[in-house]
Amino acid sequence: MASVSRGLAAPSWSLRLPPAVRWVYDYLLYPIGQMLVFIIGAAVVLTLLAYLLAALVPEPRPNIILADQISRQLPGMIISGISIGFVYAMIALGYTLVYGVLKFINFAHSEIFMVGSVVGFEIMRRIADSGTLQQWNPVVLIVTVVLVSMLVSGLLAVLIERIAYRPLRGAPRLVPLISAIGISFFLIDFVRATEAITRNDFNLRYPTDQLPWLTQSVALQFGTTTVNVKPTSFIVVGGAVLTLLALNYFVNGTKLGRGIRAVAQDQTTAALMGINVNFMISLTFFVGGAFGGAAGSLFGMNVGTVTPYVGFIPGIKAFTAAVLGGIGNITGALLGGLTLGLVEAFLNGVLVYFPALGQRYTDIFAFSVLILILIFRPSGLLGERVDEKV
Amino acid sequence: MATVTSAAQQPIRALRNWAARPAVATALILLYLAVVLLVLRGLDRRHLWFPTFSTLAFPAFVLSPFIVMSAPISRRLKTILIGGLILIAMPLVGIYDTSYLELAIQICIFTGLALGLNIVVGFAGLLDLGYIAFFAVGAYLWAMFTSQAPTVINISGLLVPAWTFPIFLIIGVGIAAVTGILLGLPVLRLRGDYLAIVTLGFGEMIRVLARNLDQPINFTNGAQGLHNVSPPPIPEIWTSFTSSTANLMGISLANVTPVAQQLLFYFVGVLIVAIVVVVARRLDDSPIGRAWTAIREDEVAAIAMGVPLVKMKLLAFAAGASFAGAIGVLYAAKQTFVSPESFSLIQSISILAMVIVGGLGGIRGVMLGAAVVTLLNLQVLKNMSLQLNALRQMDFVIFGFHVQNWPTQLEPAKYERLVFGLLLIIMMIFRPTGILPEPRRRIELQHDDVVTDEDDVSPAPGPMVGAN
Amino acid sequence: MLLEVTNLTKSFGGITAVRDVTLGIPEGSISAIIGPNGAGKTTLFNLLTGIYKPTSGQIMFNGRSIVGLSPDKVNAAGIARTFQNIRLFPAMTAIENIMVGMHSRLKISVIDTLLRNSAFHQQEKAVSDKARDLLSFVGLLHKANEVSRNLPYGDQRRLEIARALASDPKLILLDEPTAGMNPQETVAATQLFRRVRDELGITVVLIEHDMTVVMGISEHITVLDYGQKIAEGPPEAIRNNARVVEAYLGRRAAGTHQEESDHGDAA
Repeated sequence: MASVSRGLAAPSWSLRLPPAVRWVYDYLLYPIGQMLVFIIGAAVVLTLLAYLLAALVPEPRPNIILADQISRQLPGMIISGISIGFVYAMIALGYTLVYGVLKFINFAHSEIFMVGSVVGFEIMRRIADSGTLQQWNPVVLIVTVVLVSMLVSGLLAVLIERIAYRPLRGAPRLVPLISAIGISFFLIDFVRATEAITRNDFNLRYPTDQLPWLTQSVALQFGTTTVNVKPTSFIVVGGAVLTLLALNYFVNGTKLGRGIRAVAQDQTTAALMGINVNFMISLTFFVGGAFGGAAGSLFGMNVGTVTPYVGFIPGIKAFTAAVLGGIGNITGALLGGLTLGLVEAFLNGVLVYFPALGQRYTDIFAFSVLILILIFRPSGLLGERVDEKV
Repeated sequence: MATVTSAAQQPIRALRNWAARPAVATALILLYLAVVLLVLRGLDRRHLWFPTFSTLAFPAFVLSPFIVMSAPISRRLKTILIGGLILIAMPLVGIYDTSYLELAIQICIFTGLALGLNIVVGFAGLLDLGYIAFFAVGAYLWAMFTSQAPTVINISGLLVPAWTFPIFLIIGVGIAAVTGILLGLPVLRLRGDYLAIVTLGFGEMIRVLARNLDQPINFTNGAQGLHNVSPPPIPEIWTSFTSSTANLMGISLANVTPVAQQLLFYFVGVLIVAIVVVVARRLDDSPIGRAWTAIREDEVAAIAMGVPLVKMKLLAFAAGASFAGAIGVLYAAKQTFVSPESFSLIQSISILAMVIVGGLGGIRGVMLGAAVVTLLNLQVLKNMSLQLNALRQMDFVIFGFHVQNWPTQLEPAKYERLVFGLLLIIMMIFRPTGILPEPRRRIELQHDDVVTDEDDVSPAPGPMVGAN
Repeated sequence: MLLEVTNLTKSFGGITAVRDVTLGIPEGSISAIIGPNGAGKTTLFNLLTGIYKPTSGQIMFNGRSIVGLSPDKVNAAGIARTFQNIRLFPAMTAIENIMVGMHSRLKISVIDTLLRNSAFHQQEKAVSDKARDLLSFVGLLHKANEVSRNLPYGDQRRLEIARALASDPKLILLDEPTAGMNPQETVAATQLFRRVRDELGITVVLIEHDMTVVMGISEHITVLDYGQKIAEGPPEAIRNNARVVEAYLGRRAAGTHQEESDHGDAA
């Protein structure tokens, strides 16, 4: 079974390197290189596909030359694809970690993401209400917002596991799954009720309009074309890369990470080896939830307005990403998220020129991908195939 | 049962024995029904606390068939009482107050849907989270062929007359069954939890299609939905029957037609539910039902014993879907308006909640679950909102709290998710077999060593020797 | 030959669980497949019953190829089986378990089922009569309506055999049918296997570890080791075969002591 064991870790060949060099290679160079390979690979493939489409349908609408449009939009599509792709990857990690350890789809994870985005809003809003928002150092502000949402979402995930999943361990599969659906629905309305009581409104606007450095687009020059990029895109990508590096170190470089990997492989043996299985499961939920929370607040800063319903679509897309990469596999979640984000950005960019399709079907697209993978390669891109044992 | 009986328990037990005597039980049941009907008759719409009273009284009435069913009285009396309640008492209550009739129709619709989903989830063990899609197919079928909206069917003059309604009920069964097979075919190889997510995806896809198929050719009228859908024609005799019944009750109906129409829908709904119950019973108690049980309990063993998995699972999908199709046609004709938003995930989940609350796999339990959850959703929550508004307008003060200060966004009627979510969690933790457990389910869900493939068993963590 | 397996191979990724196995089972015989743990015996059964698809090789049953048939089709063709770790339908009663076993011999008609016509009632009556016959054949008639998970272990094994017989097979594959039984139960079980062949005329193939059972009942033995056939022949020949002795004793001396629970069989 694909497991959380390897993660982003470098292959353990027996090169004799000094420990410090080895550390830098294992926990910085290798994972960053891997992300770059995924991004460049997916972007190159998609660019080729887009031009292929342009060659097949040169003029989808009168006076619109598809190839020219693609050339003009290419950098923009890639940048937005990467930033949304990292958000998907971070949420996908939550599904994948829990699946790796419990072989269970945490249906409520999309709502943990949503809570992260609402917590991010609450902190920013409260700072703004106290009138000190402009005085904050941008880096400190973002780190604070992200860390607090990680903490809250992580603890929430642990709490959910305690209340709704742990008592059901060992029951037939449907039972915890239905409980998870229940949690998901409950959380949506719980957050809505809380916001209704405290604010009497649940369209939650991040006070980003007070922060020019967060909203004013940066003009980037790519050859002859200029692309306006929102600073939040950089924040999303930067935040995602940093947290992913931290996760890689945690899973592969620490004792606790080793405990999680042991529990993922074999709970009984791990327990016999003196590992506290329940603690490790809680820890997994905390880490997965924290990633959902970080993704939520970064997503919130990016889009500006969140609601209690904001989790569903990114959640299902991130689940698709996790399955695409091979559920249970950390590298797979990253690969799946980036691929899906880029594909979506390309579709959004290209489909507008086809009058019958437009962007209205992009949400269906993720479902179609999910269904196709599950039917033809349920183990995903990086998962191993397994026959059922009889 | 209990071997040790304390002094305090003895009178209770004596009372219970007394009530268990057929004559006493019959008298008690009749008394109960009389009280409930009198209360329903006596409630005054203009009273400040009417929403609360009605929320107490109507469920007591709706649930009375289930009370009769479990009472220690003769079978024949049960049949007479239940038949009387459903075929006579309910219509009369409905003529007296049409809002109750509306609720009764909704309960019929959701009972039918829950029984259909129960075939898929309860009998065959396939968790379908997109069940509402088949309901949508039925509803859109009737709506597309009768709506006055500017769809391609309307423009090309292909609309059908309203009297074809019964034919469309049957076509709805067929089309939904075919949809069930088409959607089921690619996903049946998937394991339980993946199947759940993929069916969820299919459900959403059907909704998105309904929302977007107004371009390039307008089939569904997009997000605006199909309006002016035809209801079936009402025979003259039915209208006069309705008004004379009302006159007998001492009510003069200002406008007979809508009441007659609702009454007709109610009877069609009851008929559909009755058919669904018979079909579900017969399927369950047959080689097909045994094959479903076998698949649910151990897929590998089932296929090795010669049970064709794909065929049997498709049959479950098709059977479940077909009911939803017919009920969809009924729904469209009743609402005369169909829009994509009526077929969202929350609807699928609410039907799942009915099956779970009542008791997975059991027909009586699922019917009870459908009645309870529908009442909770459409009556209790709604009446809480109404009550709140009534109190707000009065500037009512309770324990020093001004009801006027209640946040306007905290409208109970809009918090179905909270209720369904809590129901699912609580049922799963405390009573996964539901209120009226089906006996086999109790065995299946009782212990944790029933699971089929070895990966399923998450071993209870052994003795924990210190943290890491 | 009722069953002819030619050059059958099954690989899981890099591991080859069954390698180039060729064997034949004569009609009406009782045969055994033996071998140390992980020799590929259960994998072979899974290949024969269609649960795994072979990587290469041919399986001829009753004169036609059954490679690529799904397990239910294999069952309909006349091969029934039991499982190493009993796989009854736990919440169904004993008689219901057997009724499910008859599925491939029934006419399944939705219309008959819904109409409850005479065809339906006749078939249901026949099903229930035959299930009772089978229950009494294995001596469980008095427990017809007990839920199968509540039956004692030995009864569960016998019920699983009755369920396999329900599909009127020509060949029955028994995967360690006496595992976990005490000596008396083993003797009774061995008699049952013989009655299956003698009274019902069904060819029997069993995977077995208990050498008393193997040597006492089987007319033909095939020995697998590391997925390969290392010997075959009548019991006396196998008993004295040097490679077989080495495969068993050599392995045991090397410290594998998992005789009872042959769990590492499939990859």
